[in-house]
Amino acid sequence: MSLDIRPVVSSLLRNRTGAVLVAFQIAIALAVLVNAVFIVHQRIEKMGRPTRIDDANLFGIQIAEFTSRFNYDASMHEDLAYLRSLPGVVSASVSNSIPLGISGSATTVWTQPDSKGQRAQINYFSMDEQGLNTLGVPLLAGRAFRATEILPPVTLTDTSKFVPQLIVTQVVAQHLFPHDSALGKTVYDSRGNPATIIGIIDNMIGTGWGGYEGIDQVAIMPQLPRLYGFDYLVRTEPGKRNAIMRTVEEHLSTSNPDRVIKSVRSVEYYKKLLYRDDRNMGVFLITVTALLLAIASLGIFGLATFNVSARTKQIGTRRAVGARRGDIVRYFMVENGLITTAGILVGCALALGIGYWLSLQYQLPRLDLYYLVGGVLGLWIIGQLAAWQPARRASTVSPSVATRTV
Amino acid sequence: MYAYYVRLALKSFGRNRGLTALMLGAIALGIAVCIMTMTVYHAMSGNPIWWKNDRLYAVTMDNWDPIRPERPQYPDLPPAQLTYKDGVYLLGSNIPERKVLMYARQSVLTGGAAQRKPLPVSTRVTTSDFFSMFDVPFLYGGGWDSSGDQNALPVIVLSKEQNEKLFGGINSVGRTIRWDDHEFRVVGVLDAWSPTPRFYDLNNGAFSTPDDVYIPFGWTRTLEQYPNGGDTSCWRPEKLDTFADFLGSDCVWTQMWVELPNRASRERMQALMDGYWAEQRKAGRFPRPRDNRLTNVGQWLKDQGVVQNDNRLLVGIAFAFLTVCLLNTVGILLAKFLNAAPIAGVRRALGASRRQIFIQHIIEVGVLAAAGALLGLGLGALGLWGVHALYVTNSQVDTVADLTGGYQQLTHFDPISVIWAVVLAVVSALAAGLYPAWRIGRVAPAVYLKSQ
Repeated sequence: MSLDIRPVVSSLLRNRTGAVLVAFQIAIALAVLVNAVFIVHQRIEKMGRPTRIDDANLFGIQIAEFTSRFNYDASMHEDLAYLRSLPGVVSASVSNSIPLGISGSATTVWTQPDSKGQRAQINYFSMDEQGLNTLGVPLLAGRAFRATEILPPVTLTDTSKFVPQLIVTQVVAQHLFPHDSALGKTVYDSRGNPATIIGIIDNMIGTGWGGYEGIDQVAIMPQLPRLYGFDYLVRTEPGKRNAIMRTVEEHLSTSNPDRVIKSVRSVEYYKKLLYRDDRNMGVFLITVTALLLAIASLGIFGLATFNVSARTKQIGTRRAVGARRGDIVRYFMVENGLITTAGILVGCALALGIGYWLSLQYQLPRLDLYYLVGGVLGLWIIGQLAAWQPARRASTVSPSVATRTV
Repeated sequence: MYAYYVRLALKSFGRNRGLTALMLGAIALGIAVCIMTMTVYHAMSGNPIWWKNDRLYAVTMDNWDPIRPERPQYPDLPPAQLTYKDGVYLLGSNIPERKVLMYARQSVLTGGAAQRKPLPVSTRVTTSDFFSMFDVPFLYGGGWDSSGDQNALPVIVLSKEQNEKLFGGINSVGRTIRWDDHEFRVVGVLDAWSPTPRFYDLNNGAFSTPDDVYIPFGWTRTLEQYPNGGDTSCWRPEKLDTFADFLGSDCVWTQMWVELPNRASRERMQALMDGYWAEQRKAGRFPRPRDNRLTNVGQWLKDQGVVQNDNRLLVGIAFAFLTVCLLNTVGILLAKFLNAAPIAGVRRALGASRRQIFIQHIIEVGVLAAAGALLGLGLGALGLWGVHALYVTNSQVDTVADLTGGYQQLTHFDPISVIWAVVLAVVSALAAGLYPAWRIGRVAPAVYLKSQ
């Protein structure tokens, strides 16, 4: 079956402007669509990244001590005993920061003293013996800390000291000791203090203050936090988090006048904050791209409608000399197909160009070609769908139109 | 005549309701999306103290590790903060007209008349020039004098919001309040002040709200506490066993700004820093190549990456969107005008010049553009409200300066954006209408007379 492209082309060439305008809309729409979908997909993947902790059932309590009467040891003992005694609480620990939160601490370790050997920047949590269980991060090798191994907080007189033992995430372990298991190995801080790796945990997401890059390079330290403030982290049974948060806030905010509860918030809250920009970018890109496609298809529809009404007489004549309805529909579909294809060709170049520029400018990965193939198919289908109704209407033009006004 | 053209335009819109609505919708949407992204971008990239752009300079010195920069994402920049000792040394110079050395702390206020519970606040520990240097407006009272730079003067300045919480908004100057359990006298209350971005300290998010309270820098030594409200970054394996060790360390945690009225003073300040650098280098510090900088606010915001890549991308997409909307409008206008070519043909035959036909049609476009701009403004405002909602959902206003607070500023509908939008609408729609109006002016009247 021939598609009779020649007459379509020659008529298009005689009436270029409208077709060119539509083709450019399609080109821009394709370029935006492909790149937007590519970016949105990356963001969705990022947001869906497993945290490897029990984030749905965790909440954090930010504490601020503010008087010299504040008794750190007694207060911590009392608060943790209270938290752990609550029905529905799985475990609770003190921590220097809240996972997925916006503040935290980092340090650097080396595999040899004097800042030599492999080096890793680690985002650390100072916690007690219930720390691992509270986070809910799977222990892959080794063991958790024992109560007797937990050190008192760093004070102004021993800031230079380091912890003797560490638990690190798998990614840190593999980075430091690529050829063999890190378990039982020694690492050194910048002053040459040694620490033994006694456990390896799954690649949990740490804190977001230092950027998202390397957010799973985490270590757990067996030490109570204080110097830069401290928080409590509580893990509850599923479904009981919110009720327990309310009870805890009420009790703790009156139980000790020498400290104040700055906030009681779920880890999900911090997670939302951590991914807020990605989520908003996604929402915005999807909205704008959808609008763009709608506008472009309305443009195609408008041009086709106009062409049909401008050519009513011509259609009637064709019908009168023997063209069937299907021929008329085909004519307009082919015309639309040609315009769309031209737009898509320009659009492909534009999409690749923009994708390349974005990858240079913003260090994004290079545009995946699958997205381009998908975008081309999608736009082609949208183009044909938008032209379908006007083409059908054209086919209903009666052959008698041809004779009416002559 | 022009009124007649406007009437003709309205009539023509009535003839093709569907097409007119489509064009109007396309123009309005294109403009709305541009307004939304431009407003946010404008707020992000704006210089909140532009009138002092040739006077205010951030002071930075690269004291970092010889083998790697402080921030791997900015390998060519020195750390954004100074060490305490370098800051204090430079503070001793009288080259700058004004100078500020400061950092942020988390603290707790008690004893306010209208506040029962202890109130967690963010505190700026700063030297006295802060208020005059950054043109901070006062509602009541004022700052303190420079003796607070060395001594722990028990005086405090409250932000407007905190004064409302603590004292119900009355003139609280002279009242006392307890800050981290030390007694302080209120000497000033700020008026509403929220520079966006928060250029003077970008550590806790460039769009967070300003600090809640301000106390003299002289408290640093007295308090003997680590600065727990910002970013403390260390690299050197040095002894850190007393607070004095910490103050003398290569850890960076203070921010410094100077006001230099002219080029000569800037050069002298630069020379002072370079001289100090050379002297310290002899003593074994500053192992990296010399990089002492005085950076003005505009450059500072650029260097520190305040405008996120996402926002640049969004502005680009908004303009691509507007382009599609305009191409669409050109196409429809062309079709619509050519469809009505017989009428133009008759008018031409009756003596209308090409110019008049052109003007008639361009007025039609103008009316459309104006309506589109109005609609676009409305949609844009709605969209900004939506963006705002996106940012504040699930982040209830915090007692402590929160990351989300400043986003309210970002989504404010500022007058400049409104003017921008109107100009954008009219210019772009007219640009879209030029070709179709020109085309229709060129039709040969005879063709249309023949078949009547």
